Amino acid sequence: MLEQPSPAARSASPAQPLCPPADFEPLFAAVAGTAFGIAMRLTRNQADAEDLVQEAALLAFRAFASFEPGTNFRAWFFKILTNCYFSKRRREKSRPVTSDLDDTPDLYLYARSAEAGFPTQGPDPAAQLLDRLGTERVVAAIARLPEEYRVVSTLYFMEDLSYEEIAEVLGCPIGTVRSRLHRGRKMLQKALWLVAEESGIVTRHAIGGAQ
Amino acid sequence: MSHSLNRTTCEEAFRRLDDFLDRRLPHAEMHLIEEHLEICAACAREFTFEASVLTGVRQKLRQLSVPPDLMARIAAQIRAAGEGGPTPESP
Repeated sequence: MLEQPSPAARSASPAQPLCPPADFEPLFAAVAGTAFGIAMRLTRNQADAEDLVQEAALLAFRAFASFEPGTNFRAWFFKILTNCYFSKRRREKSRPVTSDLDDTPDLYLYARSAEAGFPTQGPDPAAQLLDRLGTERVVAAIARLPEEYRVVSTLYFMEDLSYEEIAEVLGCPIGTVRSRLHRGRKMLQKALWLVAEESGIVTRHAIGGAQ
Repeated sequence: MSHSLNRTTCEEAFRRLDDFLDRRLPHAEMHLIEEHLEICAACAREFTFEASVLTGVRQKLRQLSVPPDLMARIAAQIRAAGEGGPTPESP
């Protein structure tokens, strides 16, 4: 019977295979769709998203010996994917963070929807507005979030990752995930409304209350 | 008791909105909020709306499929790497 080396021993000798390479492809195939979706939200364009997934897949395959069988492959892979993204980003000039979403009040979309005559009641009250927006504009709205919020929100929306898993993927405390996620949601509501205004789905006019 | 809930409890409920929707609260607190939502129509409307936004965004963002040639490229790359053959260097 194979003895399981301790994590420390494994990292000291990464060449020791724990997972046969042949096991990689089916595990990767199961998360590839979500990985591509996440990469699209992170990079904001298809060519970069494809490069990112491809690079992460190769890195993951090469590091597959360090993956512990039976543990959470998707969190392990998404961690490699996001690390890849961040290291690519560090090589580029960082974009200035837009702050027009910073001061979004609570229940922004609820208040705006009510003012504009969209439903705020019923079993799925936001459905009408979101359906009018459609996937592309929802994607455009999430792309507007400052990076730290966009990354956490993407992991949250694209896959049912727990806060703990997101923290593991990003290597940050759970409290950070929670606060970024809560703030990111508020920002996203304003971003959705701005996109709706810009595309003429709702009319842009000053109404008292929410800014 | 649910009938003793008042405005303060609305505020407390609202403060827990995100954690409630993500089911991050301890069981007893989840239950308290559920009870409050049963008797407070205003909070119930707000919570339902917020949940509806989250569900809708999630559904929209997941409507995306992987380009088939990407999977083929990755599979080829992995096989080449596995065989110790030439592996395209990542950019």
